[in-house]
Amino acid sequence: MRDLTRRFGNLVVLDHVTFSVAAGQIAVVAGPNGSGKTTLLRCVVGADRPDEGEVLIDGRRSDETSPAQRAGVAAALDDIDFFPDLSVIEHLELMAYAHGAEAGRVAEVVAELGLDRVRDQLPATLSSGQRRRLALASCLVRPRRLLILDEPEQRLDDAGRQWLADRLLREKASGTAVVMASHNAELTAAVADEVINLDA
Amino acid sequence: MPDVDGVTGHAAAVGSSGIPAARALRRWVRRARRAHHSGSLGDVLSDAYTILLLVALYGWGGVTGIRRYLKSPESQTAQPEVRYWIAVAAALATAGLVWYGLRTLGPLLVTPAGQAWLFSAPVDRRALLAPRFAALVGGTGAGGGLLGLGAAAAVGPDQAATLVWSAVAGAVGGAGGAGLAVLAQAAGREPRWSRLLGRGLIVAAAAIALVVVTAGVCPPSQGWCRGIALPEPLGPLTAGPALAAGLAAVAVTVLAGRALGRVDRAALTAGVDLAHAATAAAFLLDPSMLTAQVESRRWRAVGRVRSGSLGADRPARYAGVARRFLMLVRAELRRRGRDRAGLALAAALLLVMYAIAVALPEIEGSAHIVLTYLVANRLASGLRAIARSPGLRRALGGRDAVLHAAHLVVPALGAVGWYAAALPVVRPWGWLDAVLLLGLVVAVLRTATRRPIQHGGPVADTPFGMIPVDLIRQVTQGPDLVAGLVVLELVLG
Repeated sequence: MRDLTRRFGNLVVLDHVTFSVAAGQIAVVAGPNGSGKTTLLRCVVGADRPDEGEVLIDGRRSDETSPAQRAGVAAALDDIDFFPDLSVIEHLELMAYAHGAEAGRVAEVVAELGLDRVRDQLPATLSSGQRRRLALASCLVRPRRLLILDEPEQRLDDAGRQWLADRLLREKASGTAVVMASHNAELTAAVADEVINLDA
Repeated sequence: MPDVDGVTGHAAAVGSSGIPAARALRRWVRRARRAHHSGSLGDVLSDAYTILLLVALYGWGGVTGIRRYLKSPESQTAQPEVRYWIAVAAALATAGLVWYGLRTLGPLLVTPAGQAWLFSAPVDRRALLAPRFAALVGGTGAGGGLLGLGAAAAVGPDQAATLVWSAVAGAVGGAGGAGLAVLAQAAGREPRWSRLLGRGLIVAAAAIALVVVTAGVCPPSQGWCRGIALPEPLGPLTAGPALAAGLAAVAVTVLAGRALGRVDRAALTAGVDLAHAATAAAFLLDPSMLTAQVESRRWRAVGRVRSGSLGADRPARYAGVARRFLMLVRAELRRRGRDRAGLALAAALLLVMYAIAVALPEIEGSAHIVLTYLVANRLASGLRAIARSPGLRRALGGRDAVLHAAHLVVPALGAVGWYAAALPVVRPWGWLDAVLLLGLVVAVLRTATRRPIQHGGPVADTPFGMIPVDLIRQVTQGPDLVAGLVVLELVLG
C-alpha cells in the first residue's frame, strides 16, 4: 500500500498510509475508533476507492475487476450480508462452487467453526456470533493468497478467539498474507508480524 | 437444496480452472433460492398485470386530463411559445434529475449479499452483470417510450407518425441514458463528461426558464427587456432525428455492454443503501426512510465543518427558557446555513414559481402555496429530528412544546421569506396571505411532528390496493391542511 489517502468531504480519514505485507505474514491494523481501519481494509478489497495513492498486489496495481485478483483475495468485512433464503451450508457451498473449490472443503470448515448445529438454519435465525463465524467460514472454504479481516475477534467467545489465533497462525504457515484490523491486544501479540497504527 | 456437484456437472459451464460460468452460477443460486419459496410464476404474472394496469389506467387519465386542459378556454391565457419553451426547460430539468438519480444509484446495483457471495468470485463479471444490464436498458427504454408516447398524445397533433417517432425518441433517450450512465459507472471515479452532462442539463433548463420568465414578465413591447422574443416552437418530431438518436443510443448501449467487466465492487454497491431506502419508502408510503438516507449522505459528503460557539459562553442578555430558546434557534440556524443544497432548492423553486406564473397563470395561486410548503418543509429537518427522537428530546430536556417552537422558527421564517419573494407574480399582499402563511406554518408543524407510521390496525380498500388506515392518516397529516389552503385560495384569492 503506497501513500493511501481517503477523504470524506474535507475530512481526511486516511492520510498517506504506506505499508507492505509479504506472503506468510500477518499485518494488524490498529487504532482507536474512527481512525480509518475499516476504510483502509475496504480500499484494499476494492469496496472503496482511495482518493490518492494505490494498493499494489504482487507489484501490480490492485484491480478489483480482475478475476485473478478476486481469486486470490478473501475478505470478511463488517458489512457482510447474507441471502435471507439460503441456509448456512448453502452459503458456503455457493462460495466454494463460485471459487472452483472442492465441495468437501465445506464440511471440514463447518466442523472446524462449530457450525454443524446450524448448518440448515437461515441467516435470520443466527446469533451475531454465529453470523461472524459464517463470515469467517466464507473465507476458508475458498482458495486465497491474501486474507482481509475486519476485527474478526468481534462477537466470538473465548474458545472462538482461541481458535481464531490458531487459525491465523496456520494461515501464516501456509503462506497466506493476512491484513486484519483488531482492537484485541492479546490476539495482536499472538499473531502479528507487523502492527500498523492509525492515529485518529 | 441444489447439489454442488450436480451443478458443476455442467462440463461446458465450468472452465478448466473449476471456476463456473456466470450462467451456471446464476442457475445455482436461482435453484437454491427457489427451493425455499412457495411463490409461483402465476403470482409474478399477477403482480406484473396489476402494475401494468395501474400504469395504463393512471397514464391514460393523465394524458386525457392534459388534453382536456389544453383545449379548455382557461388554458389560453399564456402564449403557445411560452408554454412550449417552459415544457422544454421542464423536460431538460427532468432529464438532469434522472441523470443524477441514475448516477447516484449506480445505475447497476448489487445487494450486499450478492457482492459478498457472488461478485467476490473470479467469475466473468461482464457475463454476471449482463442480465441486469439488459433489464436496465429494457426497462428505461420501455419507460422512456411510454413517456414519449404519453407526451405526444397529451399535446398533439394526433398523427400516427408523430406518436410513433415520439415513442421511439423516448425509448432511445431512456435506453441511451441508461447506457451512458453505465459507461460513467464503469469509469470508476465520476468522469468529467458525466458531471458536465448532469450540470449542463440543469443549467440549460434554468437558462431557458429564466429567458422565458423574463420575456413573460416583461413583454417585448415595453420596459428594459425590450427585444426579448421567444423563438417559434419547433415542429413535431420526424423520422430523421429519431433514427439518428436511435443509432447513437445503440452505439452507446453496445459500448456500455462491453464496459460491464470494468464495473468494480465499489461502483456496484455505492447506491445500494439509497435504493433500499427508496424501495422501502415507496412500499410503506413513508418518505422519511428515504429522506433520512439522503440527509445522511449529504452530511457524509460534507465530512467536516467549522465548529463555532453557540453563544453559551457569552454574557446572557436573557435568562432561563428564553436563553435556552435562543440557543436552540441559533443551533438550528447554524445547521440550515450548512445546507447549501437547501438554499439552491429554494432558489430553483422560485424560478419554477415564476415559470408557472407565465406559462400556467391559472394555477399560480395553488402552486404558490404548494411550493412554499415544500421549501418550508425542507427547512424543518431539525424539527423532524426532534419530533422523531424521544432520546434527543430527553437529552435536550425541557418541554416538548418549547423544543418544537424553537425548531419551527427557521421553517416559519423561510416560509415567510419565500412566500413574499414569489408573491409579486401572484397578487398584491393582502389579509388572505397572512392566513395562508399561518396555515402553511401549521402544516409544516403537522408534517414534521407526525408519529411514526403504524402498519397494523384496520385497512382501507383504495384504488391503490388495501392500505392501513393509520398509514393514510399519517401520510396525509400536513398535506391535508395544504389541500385545504389551496381550496381557500381558489375561493377567496
